[in-house]
Amino acid sequence: MTQTMEPSSMTTSNGEKSHRPLGVYTRPKGGGGWRDWVTTVDHKKIGILYGAAALFFFVIGGIEALLIRLQLATPNGTVLGADTYNQVYTMHGVTMIFLAAMPLAAAFANYLIPLQIGARDVAFPRLNAMSFWVFLAGGIFINLSWLFGGAPDGGWFAYAPNTGIVFSPSHGMDFYAIGLQITGIASLVSGINLTVTIFNMRAPGMTLFKMPVFTWMMLVVQLLLVFAMPVIAVALFLLTFSRLYGATFFTPELGGDPLLWQHLFWIFGHPEVYILVLPAFGIISEVIPTFSRKPIFGYPFMVFSGIAIGFMGWGVWAHHMFVSGIGPVSVAAFSLSTMFIAVPTGVKILNWMATMWGGRIKFSAAMLFAIGVVSMFTIGGLSGVTHSVAPADTQQTDTYYIVAHFHYVIFGGIIFGLFSGFYFWWPKVFGHKLSEKMGKLNFWVMLVGFNLTFGPMHILGLQGMSRRIDTYSPGFGFETWNLVVTIGSFMIALSVLIFLINVVISARNARGLPPTEPDPWDARSLEWITPNPTPAHNFDEIPIVESLDEFWHRKYGSDEDGKVVRVATAEEVCQDGTAEGVHLPSPSYWPLVFAIGLPFIGLGLIYSLWLCVFGGALALMGLYAWVFEPVDDPDVDHHEPQKEDA
Amino acid sequence: MKPFSSPIRSRFYLILSAFFLFFTGCASDAELDTLEPQGPSAQSIDSLSNPVFVIAGIVLLLVVGGTFYMFRFRSDHSDEDFPTQTHGNLKLEILWTLIPVLILAGVAVFTLITLAEINSTEENAMALSVEGETVTWEPEVVVIGQQWWWEYRYYLDGLEGVDLSDARNLPPADIVTSTQMVIPTGEEIELKILSRDVIHSHWIPALNGKKDAVPGRVHPWKIEADEPGVYFGQCTEFCGLSHSRMRMQAVAMDPIDFQNWINEQIEPASDPVSETAQRGQETFSSLCTRCHVVNGLNDETSIGADLVSNAAPNLTHFMSRTTYAGGIFNLYEPDGSLDRSQLEAWLRNSPEEKPAYAQGRRGMPNMGLDEKQIDDIVAYLQTLGERPSSEIISATEVE
Repeated sequence: MTQTMEPSSMTTSNGEKSHRPLGVYTRPKGGGGWRDWVTTVDHKKIGILYGAAALFFFVIGGIEALLIRLQLATPNGTVLGADTYNQVYTMHGVTMIFLAAMPLAAAFANYLIPLQIGARDVAFPRLNAMSFWVFLAGGIFINLSWLFGGAPDGGWFAYAPNTGIVFSPSHGMDFYAIGLQITGIASLVSGINLTVTIFNMRAPGMTLFKMPVFTWMMLVVQLLLVFAMPVIAVALFLLTFSRLYGATFFTPELGGDPLLWQHLFWIFGHPEVYILVLPAFGIISEVIPTFSRKPIFGYPFMVFSGIAIGFMGWGVWAHHMFVSGIGPVSVAAFSLSTMFIAVPTGVKILNWMATMWGGRIKFSAAMLFAIGVVSMFTIGGLSGVTHSVAPADTQQTDTYYIVAHFHYVIFGGIIFGLFSGFYFWWPKVFGHKLSEKMGKLNFWVMLVGFNLTFGPMHILGLQGMSRRIDTYSPGFGFETWNLVVTIGSFMIALSVLIFLINVVISARNARGLPPTEPDPWDARSLEWITPNPTPAHNFDEIPIVESLDEFWHRKYGSDEDGKVVRVATAEEVCQDGTAEGVHLPSPSYWPLVFAIGLPFIGLGLIYSLWLCVFGGALALMGLYAWVFEPVDDPDVDHHEPQKEDA
Repeated sequence: MKPFSSPIRSRFYLILSAFFLFFTGCASDAELDTLEPQGPSAQSIDSLSNPVFVIAGIVLLLVVGGTFYMFRFRSDHSDEDFPTQTHGNLKLEILWTLIPVLILAGVAVFTLITLAEINSTEENAMALSVEGETVTWEPEVVVIGQQWWWEYRYYLDGLEGVDLSDARNLPPADIVTSTQMVIPTGEEIELKILSRDVIHSHWIPALNGKKDAVPGRVHPWKIEADEPGVYFGQCTEFCGLSHSRMRMQAVAMDPIDFQNWINEQIEPASDPVSETAQRGQETFSSLCTRCHVVNGLNDETSIGADLVSNAAPNLTHFMSRTTYAGGIFNLYEPDGSLDRSQLEAWLRNSPEEKPAYAQGRRGMPNMGLDEKQIDDIVAYLQTLGERPSSEIISATEVE
């Protein structure tokens, strides 16, 4: 049957005549249960999968953090040996950055971008599924190293030549290099996918400057991913070839240069910081106006400062290398560029505060976390300014002062922002709110624990405590604060536990009840036009957008004095999700099959090329079948399956 | 040129010292403290960073205070209560873009000045008497990092013509010491920082910031101590298994003591007198000189490539140093006698005392010495170099 050769154009197909393709090429039917999840191409399910997997890795990374803190609680700790400590701290960083923070942002991006721009899905739904499965495969692959003779032990920054085969003879760094290469594919593909989605699939009337700030920040992030991931890919290839095939890129005796790795790593690494933090900025730019009942203050400034950060983020990488020996002129240049990247970030902070100013603030859990970002990220930003001052950085770098700084940025900025997003969008995704009471408890325990953990690290760093040390001696004045830090870290663990309990209890309490009412927060952007939880087809009809904060403007107008008056109730504005016959992309097995092939290729590179053959065959089969599978499963009538469980 | 001159600055210090006294109150013996500069470079860094801390602190208080102030705007939870819908204020936003720009521009100026200061070098020289001849030494020390200890080499005739390009194969130096760098006070010491394996970072916080030791490169840096004393340091670039156990000290002496130190160090080791020590020397010659050098017994060209770094500490004046094994053990008890049990434990099975990859030729392996051999070697080691003053022994003590 030649019709199976039809190229897949997915969403544009208008469901011509049915045809029955050859066996394996049949597209899966929405049969319910786990099959739905592994074959899904629905951006919302993929978003949830990203979130669940990332939270799992977040817990793993958290356990690694607790092990680190147990080891450092007292001088001359004996909880972990030096070797194990180096593996645990390396994996803490790798896990938290690549397997928790980035995919959590991807969870929000996947779920929300199509909804915020009024689209039915992303531009390439099967690629989207592939991104997730490839990320998961990479994450599992890196963690397999624990079972195969030791995890990576050269730090997440993996400075050459300490990560070379002579100095790191276990296979850990191979798993690092190949595993991050695999997750990098996921990020790169996802970056392209979401960029195309935002540029091409906005609802009629939604010009770029009517897009919500969240989508704007995510657009900047996707573009950063598209340009940053290839750089780390090159670095990781160099590392892989050095370790597996005796290449000498970083070996000075043979003409290589260890600083080559540092430049490549940080040219990726610094934009990566903004890849991590801009999603959180986007989230709180939605939360703060909603709970202040005011529009975001200075929308153009918010957008342009985000873009400015995106651009300037490429010109500051060598501030990670002020003492690496790059020469005083380079140090001066990067010192200045780093100082001035504080400006657009500062503008954002002040604009958020101006948004709250004079508002009618509801201190919900989501809002508390968002305010937490405004103040805690500021601390991280300010300590960042103190080490943009290059001479001061020669004292601060590679001490706990830096550890304090970037945890205020990553935890205080990003994790608080993501939690704000959880509490805000939970009813959108799952149809019920998380308990506000437990949410507030979650916030306060986390805030106190966080400051107990990372606040004293500033002092430890200024007292001269080096980073990445597996133990320290008494007599340097480190004892007291390290104990405080360890206590704080367990408080953070408690707060995460409260969150997880909240998730379980809230789900249980919501069982049997109708989904939460539309628009539970009196929100502003388009995703809230759909009912909760979002139906598979998103919008009954694609809304026509007239203004920024479209949803809000459909609810409220103003009288002749300029005072806000309600013109419609949320129920009147919201769609009821009952549309039928909406064409949706069909599920597919092949993104998963492709993704399963990749770790085998990785294992093959390390252990035996036969595994490469197997993995390569699997991946190729996935791609081949992907290309040739029919556009739709004929049995499903090209339409959304009937909602039986509703 | 000191940034932010006098009256404002003293007020800065007042606030600042109150703040740090509070937080570091229980840590008066913080040997690595970055806030107590003892040399000109560290001092100019400190004078730059303190006002920056204060500015950052003020902004912090404003923002965090501001977020608490937002409680004033809490909602009364009535559904139809709306604030004025302000969409922005261009003038205000331009203003709060410009204010940080101006503050940072100010900081930038002083940053550049200090940067120039700590990267400049001074033409200084001191007269030393070396074996009866007077030489003019432009104080320079070659610093070499390797897993997991520091070596310091002194070329008293200057570095001109000394090829530093291959750190694993350096020309013989007049003085080679490890873990403790001895310097004269009041002189700017130029460092040439090298590495024999991975990247390390040399940091003595009281005297200056840090500088990485990168294989294949020679990194210039400088330190200077105002007063005699011992200044602690720690490797700060992650360098593998025993990164946390790679420590060092700068011992600053006044020029007369420094001259005496030079006189001692320049001497090669002489053959031991006692019988045990002689036996120790034989054992040492057969087992230890594959990696270790004792001037007068063997020389650097004789050592093979038993180690990745191709270097182990030069032991000619072992007893004149007070710490060993990367600065983690004391050679002497507080009363000045030899800490015999620790030294014996180290000789018995060093990988157990300090994590190392001896099988991977990184770190001292377990040499399988019997107790008699250990006693002999300890006796021999005690003939190498002179015991330093009890002042130095107590000041260099590590825990």
